[in-house]
Amino acid sequence: MNPIHAVRPWFSSRMARWLDHRLPAVNHILLGRKNIFILPTGAGLLFLAATLLIFVTAINYVLSLAFALAFLMTSLFILGIFHTFRNLQHLCLRGLGAEPVFAGEEAAFGVSIEAQDSRRHEVLELAFPSAAWTRSDVEAGEAQRLLVYLPTQRRGELRAPRLRIQTRFPLGLWRAWSIVDLAMVCVVYPAPRACVLPGYTGLHSAGEAQSAQAGVEDFQGMRAWQSGDSLKQIAWKNFARGQGLMLKQFVETTEDRWVLDWDMFPGLTQEERLSCLCYWALEFSRQSLDYGLRLPGVEITPGRGEAHRRQVLRALALWQEDPS
Amino acid sequence: MKEAVPRLSLGWLLSTFVLVISPHLLRLPIGVSALIAVCIVWRVLIFRGRLAFPGTAVRLLVVVFSLPLTVLSYRGEGAGLDVAVCLLILGTSFKLLEMRRRRDMIIVLCLCYVLTMVGFIYSQTIPAALLALVNIVVITSALITLYRDNIHSSVESNTRLAVRMVAQSIPLAIALFVLIPRVAPLWSMPIPVSSSTTGVTDEMSPGDVSRLSRSAALAFRVSFDTQTPANEDLYWRGLVLDSFDGRVWRRGGSSLLSFEILERLRTPSRGEVLGEDIGYDLILEPTQQSWLYALQLAQTNTADIVQDRYYTLQTRKPVTQRYRYQVRSALEYRADVRLSGALRARALQLPQEDSNLRAREFARDLRRASSDDEGYMLQVLRYFQEQPFYYTLTPPALGEASIDEFLFDSLQGFCEHYASSFVYLMRAANIPARVVVGYQGGEVNPFEGYTMVYQYNAHAWAEVWLPGQGWVRVDPTAAVAPERISLGAQAVLANEPGFLEDSRFSMMRFRDTQWLNALRLRLDAVDYAWNRWVISYDETRQVDLLDSLLGQQLRERIFLVLGAVLALFFLIAAFFLLRGAPAQMRDPATRLYLRLAADLAGSGMIMRHRGEGPRDFCERLARQQPELADDMGRVTGLYVQCCYGREGNEAGREQLLQELMARIRALRLRVASPTRRLWLRLLPRHY
Repeated sequence: MNPIHAVRPWFSSRMARWLDHRLPAVNHILLGRKNIFILPTGAGLLFLAATLLIFVTAINYVLSLAFALAFLMTSLFILGIFHTFRNLQHLCLRGLGAEPVFAGEEAAFGVSIEAQDSRRHEVLELAFPSAAWTRSDVEAGEAQRLLVYLPTQRRGELRAPRLRIQTRFPLGLWRAWSIVDLAMVCVVYPAPRACVLPGYTGLHSAGEAQSAQAGVEDFQGMRAWQSGDSLKQIAWKNFARGQGLMLKQFVETTEDRWVLDWDMFPGLTQEERLSCLCYWALEFSRQSLDYGLRLPGVEITPGRGEAHRRQVLRALALWQEDPS
Repeated sequence: MKEAVPRLSLGWLLSTFVLVISPHLLRLPIGVSALIAVCIVWRVLIFRGRLAFPGTAVRLLVVVFSLPLTVLSYRGEGAGLDVAVCLLILGTSFKLLEMRRRRDMIIVLCLCYVLTMVGFIYSQTIPAALLALVNIVVITSALITLYRDNIHSSVESNTRLAVRMVAQSIPLAIALFVLIPRVAPLWSMPIPVSSSTTGVTDEMSPGDVSRLSRSAALAFRVSFDTQTPANEDLYWRGLVLDSFDGRVWRRGGSSLLSFEILERLRTPSRGEVLGEDIGYDLILEPTQQSWLYALQLAQTNTADIVQDRYYTLQTRKPVTQRYRYQVRSALEYRADVRLSGALRARALQLPQEDSNLRAREFARDLRRASSDDEGYMLQVLRYFQEQPFYYTLTPPALGEASIDEFLFDSLQGFCEHYASSFVYLMRAANIPARVVVGYQGGEVNPFEGYTMVYQYNAHAWAEVWLPGQGWVRVDPTAAVAPERISLGAQAVLANEPGFLEDSRFSMMRFRDTQWLNALRLRLDAVDYAWNRWVISYDETRQVDLLDSLLGQQLRERIFLVLGAVLALFFLIAAFFLLRGAPAQMRDPATRLYLRLAADLAGSGMIMRHRGEGPRDFCERLARQQPELADDMGRVTGLYVQCCYGREGNEAGREQLLQELMARIRALRLRVASPTRRLWLRLLPRHY
């Protein structure tokens, strides 16, 4: 067995611990001396090799100008440290979070990069480990919002790994980088899986239901506003009276009211059931039917609308999430 | 990560390559230049989408055919280095054809840096250095285009950045140039010896020296430690020619020995110094020959120079680049008071089949009429003086019996005619004599006080061995044209047709125009300084300079000095390049509060959320770290009061701030790790 393979897990765990200590998870971070690392790139080593070749030739042919050239290249190389380093310095990184996605899709984490000094920062590259790079420039004093993508595999709460921001500008001889933990989280819904819903008759009735429900809504009552609820349904009059944010609730006079139940899909594994439930939640939402959700320990009364859909999908995403 | 070639970069890179190889193109065989052009055009066509990248078979074919052809085209010239340079350039051009990714382009650009250095093997003049500097800026800009977004990549912006970076790195480069210890060559390298030699050659036939007077090219420059000797003392000896075949004078005897043999022999000089010696520093232009010029009687202790039995100096390798050396010469001397049999035989040699019968008879008669050798010599010189000899650059052609024809028929000649016939007449009278070729005189540069010796100063004279005196310098030309020696060649020959004929555009032709002449001398002074201080800066000169700059003690600890210089460079660079941090816009209370929050986060106790209010944070902390609750509560109260409290006057707020400062400091000291605590104690209170 390759000894490197034996050492690597130990090393990476040590590294992760050291990084957690040195660069703890934060909401925003200002890149500076303490959190920027810098090392020569392959191109830098090639440049050094060329310099060395010139130096040896200078010695052997006693060429004063070749010495001068070798020294000029050496100091250009050294100067590269500062130019590359300052391309990353004084950047303030801020995690903006990510919209929920379905498992298998790419989660797009929003990152804002703000240049807090008076120079342009060019060709910044951002990526999560083994994911695609996002490149951008940031103008002096401005902030740039970027999406950094991360493939998702399974449902649940995806905690973004350390984000790598690096630059090789201007000469490509050095790579300055930082790996920051912006404490971003993305909710990953289960991947929808088409399957048969027992007792569902098809789209036909759904179409009728849609026409029947339009506008025929009865006021049912009030409940307290929660984040994620639609602003349109807020009882602004009550709010003006100082009763706080209340939500007007309506109930639709439609027959098509489904409660998606955990027990509807016997014979499937837990994840498959959640995927089927997700599929049908989306389907009902698309058809604007009322639907609820019943999982062991979770009960969501039937409803509709964007907020409701989110609530249901979120419940599916987070239900008994594998702690690993 | 495979990265494609940015489109703008390719144009940059191809232009860079063309610029870098342009000085080499003249030296390359035409076939090779054509091949390079094909490669460049092909690459452009690939870029335009007209042609595909060559396949493996094509590439293999090109390499298999072009390499032997290249080597063959240099056959017979024995120029190993030229072949290597040619192959390097060819290889780089081939690399263009398989340049798909950024990495390939980086390889080509690194090769361009190396090619820039290769140019220095052939020329280290100021223009060559300036061209190289331009090259470096262009190569560096090409490197920048590889890593820059196309939006910001323009010829102007990339060049500006490259110029700035190169300019910023020059100070350190100069420091390294001066300080990094130079070492002797690690192994011996082939050097490109040009087949066309310049200056004095090791053969002298009629017309050879006068040919040199057509050139205003520089031969060498000398600066004397003390005062420059008078013009008539400046006989720069090059070679001694003592073998005569009736027409041509050649070298003979030990002067043909190679440097290695002479170095092994290292016989002590048989010269005897009589007066004070003078030291001087000479920079010889490339001659492609290995002998050096010096005033008689020369002594040197440079390892690369040996002196042979003729008191001429020889260096290890042909002088292909400007070569600087130091010599001490005693102008009053006695050389070879006792002449060895072999040398005497050589100095008396005359052609076996000699057709100069009249000269022999003339010598025999004159010797019989003179009391001794010296008297005879003076008689011969008087003959030159009294007969209507004419010193000219364009003498009539001479036939088989060249000495006879010159002495008794044409009476017109240049210094080689006089020297040749004088030595002949000496030898014919059984007096050891030989021809010396070299340069005579020189022009003093009034700006820097050094002496410039040009090709038209080339001269030939004689040395005669007299009992008790040894070798004595005799210049028959001085008998004919004394002003040639006292005023210099330029003064005498200026109106001769053919003088400086090969240097039609030389500034030397405008020396009568005062400001142009001043400009010429100024430019020469700059060039001389360049050679003295930059090109010939080597091990010994480095030791001298550092001793005078730093003193010997520091010079022996040069790496300490280097470290200090590097540290200084880092400090300065960090100060100028990394400054511009965002100004702290926050009020002092918030600044302190945030530092405390950062310390708490750093200690791993609790992380303040973004936008979390001070009271919320305090509550959360109290839940998680109950032992800090009291202190934090007090700090939070003070902080809120500082920030939002409206009561109190200026003094009251100041007092509040002071208290907050103290409490925050105490709390930070409590949560800090031991090392951090040490830092905090060292830092001022308001930090």
